[in-house]
Amino acid sequence: MRKFFAIVVCKLGRAVGRLIGKGSSMPGKAALKICPDILARLTLPPHIVAVTGSNGKTSTVEMIASVLRAQGKSVIYNAEGSNQVEGVTTLLLTHATLGGKVNADVLLLESDERYARYSFRYFHPTEFVITNLYRDQLTRNGHPESVYEAILPAIHPETELILNADDPLSSCFAQGHEKVQWFGMDRAPFSTDAPTGVYHDGAYCPLCHAPMTYDYVHYNQIGAYRCTKCGHRKPRTDFTLTSADLDAGVLTIDGEFPVELAFRSIYNAYNILAAYAACRRLGIPGAEIVKVLSSYTLKNGRMQKFTLGEHHGMLLTSKHENSIAYDTNLRYIAAQKEDCDVLVIVDAVSRKYFTSETSWLWDIDFDQLKAPQVRRVILSGQYCHDLAERFSFTGIDPAKITVIPAIPEAAAALESGAEKGDEALYVVTCFSDRDKLLDLPCVRKEAL
Amino acid sequence: MELTLIHLYPDLMNLYGSYANLSVLRRTLEGLGHSVTVQPVLPGESVALDGCHFLYLGAGTERAQKAALEALTPYAAVLRSAAEAGLPMLFAGSAMELLGRRITDQRGKDWEALGLADFLSRETEKRFVEDVYGVCPLFPEPIVGFQNKSAVITGIETPLLSSLAMGYGNDGEKRPEGYQKGNVFASALTGPILVKNPALLREVARRVLAHAGAEVPGTIPVDEELEKGYAVTAQQLKKRAEA
Repeated sequence: MRKFFAIVVCKLGRAVGRLIGKGSSMPGKAALKICPDILARLTLPPHIVAVTGSNGKTSTVEMIASVLRAQGKSVIYNAEGSNQVEGVTTLLLTHATLGGKVNADVLLLESDERYARYSFRYFHPTEFVITNLYRDQLTRNGHPESVYEAILPAIHPETELILNADDPLSSCFAQGHEKVQWFGMDRAPFSTDAPTGVYHDGAYCPLCHAPMTYDYVHYNQIGAYRCTKCGHRKPRTDFTLTSADLDAGVLTIDGEFPVELAFRSIYNAYNILAAYAACRRLGIPGAEIVKVLSSYTLKNGRMQKFTLGEHHGMLLTSKHENSIAYDTNLRYIAAQKEDCDVLVIVDAVSRKYFTSETSWLWDIDFDQLKAPQVRRVILSGQYCHDLAERFSFTGIDPAKITVIPAIPEAAAALESGAEKGDEALYVVTCFSDRDKLLDLPCVRKEAL
Repeated sequence: MELTLIHLYPDLMNLYGSYANLSVLRRTLEGLGHSVTVQPVLPGESVALDGCHFLYLGAGTERAQKAALEALTPYAAVLRSAAEAGLPMLFAGSAMELLGRRITDQRGKDWEALGLADFLSRETEKRFVEDVYGVCPLFPEPIVGFQNKSAVITGIETPLLSSLAMGYGNDGEKRPEGYQKGNVFASALTGPILVKNPALLREVARRVLAHAGAEVPGTIPVDEELEKGYAVTAQQLKKRAEA
């Protein structure tokens, strides 16, 4: 009876919420109050695929859903990113019959790293993709090893783990776990011999803290690692990016499936590979998967094209407090051939809470902007001085750097003050600050 | 003069932009005309402090901290006598706990620490993660920063910050924070602390210069952007502390 009541309350709450434009966690919260173990009382779809990790969750989940739907499968997933237990409850109850049966072929969940253990207390994924684990939102997460510890209790022995073979930390989830599938990238033209970036989280083995060496590195600490003492190393991969040419925008998966990249970043390549691996484990043939993923344009708005005066701009959403998100976007800018301006905005560190914590700026490899085609760099937002101090420790010519605290003034300077005025403009900032630029009257958004 | 700063375990204890404490100290000393060498020491290498003018260890994860402790334990006596001789040093973030007598980890296991001070650290399941705004008796400017730690530290009689208006101190909400005795500085604060606090940067630079026998100027210049960044954060935190 409580189950029935909880489902009804949640469905009603969700319907009202949609009407008034409210978020998706309240109805689930109410249902959990009425029936705390409601999640255990549902009949769930045969496949429950969860995706967690520091970066790439939302994109990976979106791509998996697209592939499955193209195959005619019915998929329920938390497209709104409501990935804590209340949001998951809302999602499931909204799609459940009044008897508690969730009708779909696949339940697909983007899962918050810290809350996965609460969501999966009453049911567990059949396949669990963990994209990577690195420094991310340390004000919330502590540090990568504490996130690792937080995910561990969410892993059920019967769950098949789909892990990133190239990540020395998240690959440790395979320790003592029987069912593991690995995805990873072979050496590529852009791979380096040693870790890149400001800090070296791959310097020591996450299991025994002995020094690690690398056969090759794709970015930061992601690559073919090898502990000098305990044998922790990149395992053989089941799903492999056998070639990756980011300049040409072409990948090959498993030696036979070509994928064209709509966005030529290494991140995108990994997310595609993770989505491919998950879909293969759900029985979709490789050729069918890459049909959907080739030239796939993400709908999640992480990239936004716009015009500002004569400039053609691209906003690359880079989560504040996440140095690798920044690093990969800076790498993308560094790989461009034409002249460009770069605007970096740090105004509110988070959109969800106040903090003045900016230590993460010191973890970002801003030296990547030391490139001839980067003509000038504008630093803006409330924390522009912290940014400026950080930039003063890079090798970028100080004459190229301007500090303009107010975002509208920074935009005005770009609109009018450029030498040519029509060079490309890249904006690096977070969800918390992007609309402070995009909503300005001088900025016109464009479709990707 | 030529100054040598030793950076202990730079890749092992490297969380929260820790290395930047040394970057700004180095620049400040160089700005006064000194020639500065930063010498990294890796785990397993010997810690020789002859000719060293400043010793630094940054923040690490709980596991990295134990690995650092294991590597440093053979040099505990060397560190103790250097501290007694007045060598300026900063132990930032979780490195602070190494200075005490003992660390008890979350599983209840006791780790004998370096014993430069007589305090105890106990790791808890809870993390104390928040902005910090407090008072350091060494100078009038308030201290700003952030903390992200799991340990409760008891038995410190000479804290670096005498009181907090925001944040979790060594052993409780708004209690005194950090440790400071002679030229030994320690604080769980990140930010990094010397980058966020020009006044503390100047204080540490003064100690380094005095101990090295170099001239100590009346005012020590630091980057203008450091001062501006500090002003923004201090204003933000003051507003919140008073709210």
